[in-house]
Amino acid sequence: MLDALVEALKGSLSLVLPDIVLLATVAVVFFGAPFLTDERGRSEAGLRHRWSWLALAAVGFSGWLWYQSTPVEVGDGPFRLDGLAWFVRGLSLATLVVLLLVNWNQVPDGASAESIGSLLAIGAGVNLIAASNDLVYLFLALELVSIPTYLFLFLPRRDAAAQEATTKYFLLSAFSSGLVLFGMSYVFGVVGSTNLQVIGQALAAGQNGPLPMLLPVAAILLIAGLGFRITAVPFHFYAPDVFQGAGTSGAAMLSFVPKVAGFVALIRLLIPSGWMGPDAQTLANLTGPTVWWLAVITMFVGNLLAILQTDVRRLLAFSSIAHAGYMLVGFQIGRETHAGIDGIDALLFYLTVYGAMSLGAFAALIATSDESKRYETIDDLGGLSRTRPAVALLMTLFLFSMMGLPPTAGFLAKLNLFFAAWSQGTESGRWLAIFLAVNAAIAAWYYLRIIAAMYLREPAHAENRHQEPAASVAMACCALVVLGLFFAPDWLWRAISVVS
Amino acid sequence: MLMLVTIFLPLVAAGLMLFLDIRATPTRARWTALIATLATFFASLGLAGEFLRLPSAEGVARAPVQPRMELRHDWLTLERTDAEGNSQPMRLEFYLGVDGISITMIVLTTLLCVCGVLVSWTSITERAAEFFAILMVLETGLIGVFCAFDLVLFYVFFEFTLIPLFFLVGIWGGPLRRYAAGKFFVYTLAGSLITLLGLVSLVWQATLQTGLETPFSLPALSEALRSNPLPDSVQTALFLAIAAGFMVKVPLVPFHTWLPLAHVEAPTAGSVLLAGVLLKLGSYGFLRLLMPMLPSGCWDVGVPLIAVMSVVGIIYGSLCALAQDDIKKLVAYSSVAHLGFCMLGLFALNVEGISGGVLQMINHGLSTGALFCLVGMFYERYHTRSLSQLGGLATRLPRLATAMVLITFASIGLPGLNGFVGEILALMGMFDAQHEFGRVYAALGATGVVLGAWYMLAMLQTAFFGELKEPHHDDHAEPVQDLGFREIVTLAPLATLCVVIGLFPQPLLDIINPDVKALVTVLNNVSHPSTRATQAAAEDQSQFPATSSASFGIPADESVAVLHLVNPSPAQPRPANPGIGE
Repeated sequence: MLDALVEALKGSLSLVLPDIVLLATVAVVFFGAPFLTDERGRSEAGLRHRWSWLALAAVGFSGWLWYQSTPVEVGDGPFRLDGLAWFVRGLSLATLVVLLLVNWNQVPDGASAESIGSLLAIGAGVNLIAASNDLVYLFLALELVSIPTYLFLFLPRRDAAAQEATTKYFLLSAFSSGLVLFGMSYVFGVVGSTNLQVIGQALAAGQNGPLPMLLPVAAILLIAGLGFRITAVPFHFYAPDVFQGAGTSGAAMLSFVPKVAGFVALIRLLIPSGWMGPDAQTLANLTGPTVWWLAVITMFVGNLLAILQTDVRRLLAFSSIAHAGYMLVGFQIGRETHAGIDGIDALLFYLTVYGAMSLGAFAALIATSDESKRYETIDDLGGLSRTRPAVALLMTLFLFSMMGLPPTAGFLAKLNLFFAAWSQGTESGRWLAIFLAVNAAIAAWYYLRIIAAMYLREPAHAENRHQEPAASVAMACCALVVLGLFFAPDWLWRAISVVS
Repeated sequence: MLMLVTIFLPLVAAGLMLFLDIRATPTRARWTALIATLATFFASLGLAGEFLRLPSAEGVARAPVQPRMELRHDWLTLERTDAEGNSQPMRLEFYLGVDGISITMIVLTTLLCVCGVLVSWTSITERAAEFFAILMVLETGLIGVFCAFDLVLFYVFFEFTLIPLFFLVGIWGGPLRRYAAGKFFVYTLAGSLITLLGLVSLVWQATLQTGLETPFSLPALSEALRSNPLPDSVQTALFLAIAAGFMVKVPLVPFHTWLPLAHVEAPTAGSVLLAGVLLKLGSYGFLRLLMPMLPSGCWDVGVPLIAVMSVVGIIYGSLCALAQDDIKKLVAYSSVAHLGFCMLGLFALNVEGISGGVLQMINHGLSTGALFCLVGMFYERYHTRSLSQLGGLATRLPRLATAMVLITFASIGLPGLNGFVGEILALMGMFDAQHEFGRVYAALGATGVVLGAWYMLAMLQTAFFGELKEPHHDDHAEPVQDLGFREIVTLAPLATLCVVIGLFPQPLLDIINPDVKALVTVLNNVSHPSTRATQAAAEDQSQFPATSSASFGIPADESVAVLHLVNPSPAQPRPANPGIGE
């Protein structure tokens, strides 16, 4: 009896070994930090770098474990390691490396342990979202992302704007978690199980429970709650303020990690894995045109409001909203294409590329600013090509990629979405493709404004010799991904094809 | 191999300049750029030589679009699920190739880039290394478009050219440069996104219909669609979508508003490449994508829509040019008119018309490129381009005036110069075309030739002849000099080619004709039912070589032999010859 329990525990834990490494490191960092900080919250200079090196080592070890692992058959335990979990784990570990580099000099030494620990916990949370096979674990993993995020946003800067941003994020995030939980409880109520595999099969078999209206309500509650994470309009209100108020590394993290968490959770909950035939019922096709409208409104609102912005961070916040809209196009197409390109594959490709270009752009913002001066507005970036040619060049690369122009991976990512939307073969799919094209053209305008400021104007500031080597390395990595995935996209595409 | 060198040599040189030597002195930058562009030019000549030594393609079974030299490499394999739920690969490739049409355009591009470097020799002193590097990046993009034989790769290069041109106009342009660069960029991007949607749906339709594994490869796609064409209604819709980006690029009136602005604000080298090559990307797109893939779309919407737009463009562009005081703007509007001729020729959809259109693409590149060079040289001397401030400069600047007269004549289309051959082929093609209003379009287009002569000669007369009137230029201590050695070297190859192509167009036509004929075969398969019979008959007769060229009463000229070759029917009324009257 006991042996069987131990065996089951071992079997389950072996599926989340890389995440255990990360969480163990978090424990070490949190436990060690108080001994290295004095009563006034200060500690010796350079501590943040040592913690960062430790965290990088942990991520490296975790990455090695990930590399050794292969997807296995989904059982009935609390965790699973299917293609999606495997893929997301790789993505989030790579993101952690970049974010650690971006965060290198962004927090005071005294608060560094908490900041770095939160970051690792967020990464582990994202992994566990993908790896969970149970509604309860999924919710816990979502909270493992949210709670450290509050800390991570608050630590680097403690001025009024940062406090307001953190509070806003905290309140709305808690509210959205409530919505998700509410939706999950309905699903449990109908199906009578918290196991995702069981839920998927029950739904496919057409089991609607005594109250058939409950399931669509549950699906819409889940979409609303997770829509907050992916900044889908109308759940996006916090994004511009928080991006502007929080520190740059916080904004960088927010622009990408919650999107991964949200989309992965959406895929897990609404689109069960495995092809169940064209008529199988899923939560996704119970919601009717909700996601379609969500995608269209998100694209348009994000892009149109981005045109009005003068603050670079607010602009990037609206741009990240717009990108969420593009990715929702992929989600809407979903796996329903009977004869076409898989929408989820296109979504995951876009998500990866978006991560590289968005984190890269924020890394570029960090590389240009020093501690005394933050670059706030587009005018501040004026003439950057004269003062910091390399940073300006890479920033331009990221912006062109967001625009979807070749030769960047952003182009192929949009192309995949176009294909997925068009190949669905329905009127609504074609309209999505058309709206995507319209939005890509609108978006060109505001990205171009930043590029024009950097290249076509005279410098706004005196020459700035401040160097941020870590941020530069992060930027170079992102640039490598953005360019590399254009020339060798098969590399990522093959990894994604493991998912389906 | 030589193809890769031609495409990527400028890019590598640009990369080296940007990363190793960004603070180079202007002298070092311009010499580096000159050496790199010259090397690219010779590489492209080598490529052309290799191309010409290939065994003849005549009589070999081939797809409507078929490169004669090619390089392919896998790029991205998409998985699609077919109707039975099996997964099928769809391959994108790095598919580079060269055929007769593209090789001529490539050599034109590399030549104009050398001219572009030479003409910017003294005028660009600020951020010179960046300027020349961006110029060469643009060169890579342009050559790439002409080499691409994969749909997506074509689009990639097509879009990529926007980026360097944006910087060229935006950084080194005139007073309105930022506005001009932004407008140019967003306008053309919006157009090409519609094209992208069109291409996506074209590929998708074709995949569904033919189950191709490489639906992005132009030869495979055109071959599959020839034997298994898309339904007419689909072709119509796809034609409109795909043509959108090309119509903006060409530009056809009313989508031309970005052009005069961009031309006037661009630095001279930018204008040369913009007029000389970039606009051709649009007409090349029609030729490369729309005609072989959507032949009935070309007949059903292409002919009425594009021909009307071209005729309007010819007349409207000429009238606008007539009203300009700024010489550069005048030349910019003349581009609108000339591209109208080119498109009119292409949409005659017969051998004469299409070869005339292609020839017109090359001619316009040479003569308008040279005209923009001359305008730039002029501006460097007087710091004005306003016709009302100039007069009688032929006595002051005899060499510049001579060059200007020669190039202007070429641009007008005087017999013996290149413009004549292209225009007359295009107009005759249209006159002969198998559609209802062909003669009307041709006649209306011919009035554009007269208008063209009018505004060009008026410009010459005002600026170079009559009473000497020099703009006030006390603030420049140096006296105004006539053309120097460098400037003559810049113009000489362009002027020489204008004359040579005017006198001996046949070799050039021989290079492009096999590809044009392959296209026309596809187009004829689906021409209007009422005209299909006569078209087929004409096609049969065209197999016989012509022996006499005197029937048109024009002095024996190589170009006429071609006209005759493809148009031997004695019953054909003698076409009006608009070029002679001038």
